[in-house]
Amino acid sequence: MVFRFLRRFLKEEVDEQTRLRIKFDHFRRLLENNTQALEIMADMEEKLSGDFLFDTVYLQNQVERLGDNVSRLVTELNLLTENRYPELRSICQAIQEDLGRELITTPAIPPTPFVLPLSALTREMASSVGAKMANLGELGNRLHLRVPEGFAVTASAYKRFLEASDLEGELAKRLAQAPIDDLESLEAISREIQTLVRQAPLPPDLDAALKEAGKAFEGRPLAVRSSAVGEDTEFSFAGQFATLLNVDVGDLPTHYKEIVASKFTSRAIFYWKYQHFSVEELPMAAGCLAMVPARASGVMFSLDPHAPESNTVLISAVWGLGKYAVDGAITPDLYRVSREPGQEITEQRVAEKPVALVSRPEGGTEEVVLDPDKARSPCLSPDQIQQLAAIALKLEKHFGHPQDIEWALDDSGAIFLLQSRPLRVSAPSFAAEERESTWEPVPPLLRFGIRAAGGAAAGRVFLYLRDEDVANIPPGAVVVARQPAAKLVLVMDRIAAILTEVGSPTDHMSILAREFRVPTLVEVGGATRVLHTGQVVTVDADAARVYPGLVPELLEHRPRPDEDLRSNPIFQKLGRILKKATPLNLLDPESPEFEASRCRTFHDITRFAHEKSMDAMFALDVDQSLRPGACSRLRTDLPLNLFILNLGGGLKVPGQSWVTEDDILSRPFRALLRGFHHPQVTWAGQVAPDLRGFISVFANTMYDLGKSEKGLGGKSFAVITDNYLNFNSRLGYHFAILDAYISEEKNDNYISFQFKGGAAGVERRERRARLLSEILDYLGFKVQVTGDMVRARMVKYSLLETEQTLELVGLLSAFARQLDLALSSEAVMARCFQAFKDEDYNLSFLRPEQRAT
Amino acid sequence: MAEQILVVDDEPNMLRLLKTILMDKTGYEVATTNNPLEVSKMLQEKPYDVVVTDLKMPLVDGMDLIDIIKKIDSLLPIIIITAYGTLETAEEAVQKGAYDFITKPFRKETILITIKRALEWKKMQKELAALKKQ
Repeated sequence: MVFRFLRRFLKEEVDEQTRLRIKFDHFRRLLENNTQALEIMADMEEKLSGDFLFDTVYLQNQVERLGDNVSRLVTELNLLTENRYPELRSICQAIQEDLGRELITTPAIPPTPFVLPLSALTREMASSVGAKMANLGELGNRLHLRVPEGFAVTASAYKRFLEASDLEGELAKRLAQAPIDDLESLEAISREIQTLVRQAPLPPDLDAALKEAGKAFEGRPLAVRSSAVGEDTEFSFAGQFATLLNVDVGDLPTHYKEIVASKFTSRAIFYWKYQHFSVEELPMAAGCLAMVPARASGVMFSLDPHAPESNTVLISAVWGLGKYAVDGAITPDLYRVSREPGQEITEQRVAEKPVALVSRPEGGTEEVVLDPDKARSPCLSPDQIQQLAAIALKLEKHFGHPQDIEWALDDSGAIFLLQSRPLRVSAPSFAAEERESTWEPVPPLLRFGIRAAGGAAAGRVFLYLRDEDVANIPPGAVVVARQPAAKLVLVMDRIAAILTEVGSPTDHMSILAREFRVPTLVEVGGATRVLHTGQVVTVDADAARVYPGLVPELLEHRPRPDEDLRSNPIFQKLGRILKKATPLNLLDPESPEFEASRCRTFHDITRFAHEKSMDAMFALDVDQSLRPGACSRLRTDLPLNLFILNLGGGLKVPGQSWVTEDDILSRPFRALLRGFHHPQVTWAGQVAPDLRGFISVFANTMYDLGKSEKGLGGKSFAVITDNYLNFNSRLGYHFAILDAYISEEKNDNYISFQFKGGAAGVERRERRARLLSEILDYLGFKVQVTGDMVRARMVKYSLLETEQTLELVGLLSAFARQLDLALSSEAVMARCFQAFKDEDYNLSFLRPEQRAT
Repeated sequence: MAEQILVVDDEPNMLRLLKTILMDKTGYEVATTNNPLEVSKMLQEKPYDVVVTDLKMPLVDGMDLIDIIKKIDSLLPIIIITAYGTLETAEEAVQKGAYDFITKPFRKETILITIKRALEWKKMQKELAALKKQ
């Protein structure tokens, strides 16, 4: 009887050990994946710093690896917890798919009808009809602002056209050959492709759909414009694609093909190849809108892009159709309006506008000469200016970003909106570099103009008088033109500066110049007469001055390269990926919101899984009364809230709910505790007035600080056997893992240590990582630092050496805890390192009271 | 005269990044092309001091480009940029005559230092050649 009882008891004991070991295997695999996932995130964050160069292959690899790690982590968590968090799988998959979409360069074209009425469009439909038409629909349908009647020809129609005409492969082949540096070949390829598009017949179903949609507009002139999917997002494509004004609805199929062909103008090809769009991208949707019989038209920016700090709306206006304002063909009126309530007009610069573009009765447009009185009169009344400004602010508020808006005013004074897209605003530092305009290093050749893109640059003048000259513009030239030309985009990556005699900061060329950061001045009257080809000049766009020769003092004001790097599409892609992967939303495990369903990023999942795996491993997630002895707690004078799980041989008496340090048999654990108890280390009182400060957080991750930190889940966990220790601690943003094995067999011995995190800024986090890395390296570890993550490993040392090192790691934790505000500089960091080497573990150099004694 | 650097990469964004970095506070003049077929024409039109090229490109492989460049100017140092995990190919490129290689992703300083060393190497080779002639 007694024997039978003992056998059953022993068997249960063995089963329990096996079960725990299996659980622990899952737990360790979870931790490994957690560490790797965090390491990949740290690596990607580091790449965003601007110190590194990387390509799209790197992004693809890292996103794939990260997804794999997190997905394995979720699997292990569910294995550990008997599938308690099944929803994490779908959340993880959704994040993975979302990140995948960021990497895909070809957007899927939604299967919509070929034609959709403007009255049915909202901003969410940008992938079907392009952002231009989707936003216009949003203005009319959601904001109830006045927009023309019309319809969109969808991206699905474009796909149908290319497929039915067999154009796709042919275009891809020719586009692949288009060199962006050889303008003549680029022009030739562009002409060939455009001819192919114009000659291809529309499939009958698309042709019929266009004609049907056109019926409602019979006898009314239309404007047909591009609305490419991907256009007007973060890349402006300003002025790259066609707009056909005042055309007859009867010729709609031809006009439609013309819009599609404009996707392949040389400047459009250059722009999207340069911005790294692939051939399949930018499906060309189009918008067909009733012409607004415009008395005046123009462009407005809800925030002056060059002086965001001035807090003004910028409006430009011309008589007649808006094309002249957009192209910058003539100098428009410029109005600045305060964004503050009341919308006070702060500046009215009424230009002489000798001509206007108007609709011809027989179709198309023509330029008419205006009588001098009209030419000199303002296009807008103060009331209209304020109305426009109010609309601009309303749109900015609605879209959540400053807007670039095209508008038209009809004879009755009604305002129609024709387009609204995100505006590129200069970085504040860029604007802050503006200098006193009175300071002139030498007498300038020209001292007027309006800054369209800031900065200063020098080069040889190139007079650009005809569009054909674009191929002859040498690298580094200061291009001087009569009027702005969006075609200059072809050389914007290689020219120094642009000066035009007319134009406006709101025209297409200016938008592109800002995108390419080419210092640009418009409205520099007489520039083509004063300057001549070959002459070296320095253009100071910020102060609107052109100086003879080189002015080195000004050239130091080149835009900071980091800004350039960060505006590169690869950096922006990484930024978007990180925004979706790394923010940590689940901070407090005690909060009721700490739930699987609330994980929104990969970082949330790792955080959640780590916390829940601890609970599961230490059976903190079940009612302790049902599972007596599942884990023990340590009774100690150290400020530790420590849970111990014994997998065999680690405790004198297994199964007790409380144990003391004397009950611990695990050799590595005992070594670590000895380090914690080092006589030079003071745990209580006056160590750090700011325990959250800097490196102390390292220690905080291992030592519960008591009540003040409880809310952040300050528990520590040790899984032990006689010769094994896994010590795990997590607090708020930080986490640390120590894993060690000690035995007589030297080859089996190791210590592995990982630390990551910090709520501090990147610089402080990285400094902390460096100090830890230096000390660990000094202790004989192989150390790897990635961003703010430290991984250290030591293998194959003797039992005694490994044991001593573990003791030092314990000491290091305690040592680190005593650093308060100290590590504010590199110098103090070096002194702390020296103190550790000198065995001054209580950092007497930081304690004036001890120095005094 | 400023040192002339030619950068070849089929990915326009990478070209832009490299150009930005190489021109920042260095005084180098940087020409770029995303079409390796243009390289021999460019080298014949104007002398360069260093070529930086991607290894894997669709039209001409970086490996073949080394041959093409070496035929035109045997002393022109070529720095190869290679993706992580293609170390063997990169070493092969160096055996073929490339000056050095850099693995993506890399720190800005890495490429700047490598170019600096390559320029010094070129200068030394020239001096050596001049001495031999004497």
